Amino acid sequence: MQTIKGKHFQPCEPEFPLFIAEIPRPGDPISLHVRGFSTLLTPLEPVKDGTKIVGVDVSSIKVGETETGIICAIRGAIVWNEKKHYQYVRLGPFPFHATEMNSPEAAGGPRHDVSSDHRVDLLSPVENQNHLCSSMERWIQASVSSMSRKSIILWDGSLTAGMPGNPVSAVSHILRVARRNSNSVLAFSKATTIRFLGWKITDLAINQKPPCLLEVENLPLSIARATSLLGRIFVAKLAGGGYSFRLDIDRALSHEDCIAAVERLLGNELMFQGYPETLRLAHIYSTFTANDVLGIQSFLAAEYGLRVVPRCSIRKTLFGPFGTGYED
Amino acid sequence: MRLLKKAGNTIQILSFPDEDIEKGGYLIIEDRKAQKALIAQVIDIQFANVPGVMEELLRQPAAEDSTLGEDADPLDIMSHILYIQDARLLVCKIYGTAIEDRLGQGNSWLPSRTHSRINRLPTASLMELAKIAKERPISLGITQELSPVLIDASELDGKLNLITGKKGTGKSHLSKMLVLGLVDHGATVVVLDLNGEYINLGLTADGQRNAHYSRVHVLSPGKDFKVTLYQTDLYVIMRMLTYALDLPGTSAREFRHIWRFLQEKSMLSLHELGEAIKRWQCNQHVRDAMFSRYYALVHSGFFTDNMAEAVDLEGLLRKTDGNGGGAVIIDLSDTSPTDRQMVVEYVLAKLQEILSQWKIRAVFLFAEEAHLYLRETYWDDVVTRMRHFGLFTTFITNQPNTIHENIYRQADNIFLLNFVNEHDLEIVSRAARVDAETAVSLVRDLPPHHCLVLGKVVKDFPIVVKIRPLDIRTMGQTRFLWNASQ
Repeated sequence: MQTIKGKHFQPCEPEFPLFIAEIPRPGDPISLHVRGFSTLLTPLEPVKDGTKIVGVDVSSIKVGETETGIICAIRGAIVWNEKKHYQYVRLGPFPFHATEMNSPEAAGGPRHDVSSDHRVDLLSPVENQNHLCSSMERWIQASVSSMSRKSIILWDGSLTAGMPGNPVSAVSHILRVARRNSNSVLAFSKATTIRFLGWKITDLAINQKPPCLLEVENLPLSIARATSLLGRIFVAKLAGGGYSFRLDIDRALSHEDCIAAVERLLGNELMFQGYPETLRLAHIYSTFTANDVLGIQSFLAAEYGLRVVPRCSIRKTLFGPFGTGYED
Repeated sequence: MRLLKKAGNTIQILSFPDEDIEKGGYLIIEDRKAQKALIAQVIDIQFANVPGVMEELLRQPAAEDSTLGEDADPLDIMSHILYIQDARLLVCKIYGTAIEDRLGQGNSWLPSRTHSRINRLPTASLMELAKIAKERPISLGITQELSPVLIDASELDGKLNLITGKKGTGKSHLSKMLVLGLVDHGATVVVLDLNGEYINLGLTADGQRNAHYSRVHVLSPGKDFKVTLYQTDLYVIMRMLTYALDLPGTSAREFRHIWRFLQEKSMLSLHELGEAIKRWQCNQHVRDAMFSRYYALVHSGFFTDNMAEAVDLEGLLRKTDGNGGGAVIIDLSDTSPTDRQMVVEYVLAKLQEILSQWKIRAVFLFAEEAHLYLRETYWDDVVTRMRHFGLFTTFITNQPNTIHENIYRQADNIFLLNFVNEHDLEIVSRAARVDAETAVSLVRDLPPHHCLVLGKVVKDFPIVVKIRPLDIRTMGQTRFLWNASQ
């Protein structure tokens, strides 16, 4: 509590535990003079050239528990914008039974990730769910990279690799295929934990005039050591009144190519609060609603004869109305 | 179907799209452990409150949206999602409990959510279970499941009935069906026919005589329905003068003296009545008042001094009753409002007289838009006295607010056709034979020629009926300018 220095507090809903890729460095933030970053700042000019914009997103959700693990469902969405017409393909939902025992199988690869020391076997069911989700996301990204030409391909998240289910080799391969087809891969992160002198990097662009890019690549950033950054890290502020986002662009592209890619994105895509519309739609189409979960549960009951039993809440049993915390 | 909630006599049931349930249909909720079943009627069908539906609908591209897409769903899970999205909530009213093929009214027990089985109860089975229409059936039409609906004429006997619905929904059609059904079972029916809609009850649609021809008698006041003063009792003429012609009390007393004077001298005729008023020793204002009413009687054309052209209504009714029933249609279509009131007063007074003397057994009176000719006190008479004389009234109206509230409360049978006006719905919901929610919800969505039957004829199980067509020549249809010119 002693480290709270900001004026605002945004409460958040309890969520599934995420795989922590970047670890914030503890300590007080140092006063920041954003004018000092003007040399890192690149103003952008939209380039309207009819470039196709393709967005990819994948969602997963836990739909139930079994005695040995969890049942989760994964759905992917590809949305593309060609001459201001949006089209989409949704893949799934695909239900999976994720257990500790079938995690290597779920990874769809070797039992050891050659690029890291992580062992991928004996993952917890929830980790296994994330693992499956990443695998499907990479598969869709790989497909899009090989099928698209001269396009901007947008990923949700970052170009960080090296975690279980997200091997450096696989991500590098996808980026290589994309480049071979003259595509540019841009990854937008809605939230980042990367900090510079205690400040979130997205705050560095707060007072900058959009559209602009701030290259933070060479700043001393707090990033987890175990990860590999396959992209150049920028802070993108692409629309007036919009948010700033961490933007990773394929590291193999030159600085000029990175700038050009973002300018083509600006010229050929709608920006909603500074976020690309194709990626926003991909998220909407892949996300599971409560209705989807009920439908999937109904499918499982009908197809596999699973009997739905009410979940017993230990917290509620123990603490009654005070058992309000998140229960895994 | 799954039992979701019960509160009072309302029950909520979760239903899925492939379960073919219609508003107005019946369900049987069988609790096998309790060995009892609830009988409930679906009064409303709503979308179930499925979580996440709003988000699902928001992300579905609208038809005119530029976003196109497709789902690669090899496991066909989307069909399950859509199935749940279309889940429905059936709001039902409980109308009874069945225990081993016996039907009771109780609904105080709670069926099990887990052990209960919910199935459709076809209206034909319900009618069988409730033992509706056994002795004297009148065919009304068909149910939603296309099974015939028969009501028992005995349940109209001694009862107060009401037919109401907005214009053009088939009230008169249903009324004619009941008239002919009663006639078929030997009843004597008198119809106060405001618009001349019943005068062709004895003819088929193509103008041929039908089976009822000889039993239908049409009387047109001033034309073939005239009476002499000699046939008219003093109390009948006094009711006409007082209620239809508003004769003040003092003048009425003098008139009574004149009438008795002429009666004693066997000189009761229109001519002699006029002369007697002229010569009678009384205040000039009283004389003027009596004269103005006298001329009203004369100009109505309803009275005559010619015995040959006078109609013996009592004789006609006795003959009809003795010959196995029939319908007497009083055609009021070409009668002025005042004359109409006079004729109705005469007919009602005559009926009351004949019935009180047991000259005929009973009469079913059908009164269309009765507020246009019935005096205020008659509404209470209908509820309190008339049925004891053997006069059983059926009111037919498209203005439910013109029927007194106590009629709604006391009516034994109500035939409701479509209403959409909230004010009208509020009025018909006062009917005591059904809860307000059922009446409003079902009546609002009734298609034309569909009727919600409430009351004793259906053993208090509200039933939606599609009224069958009748092969009779119709006169009650609206006359159109453009169709007429063609």
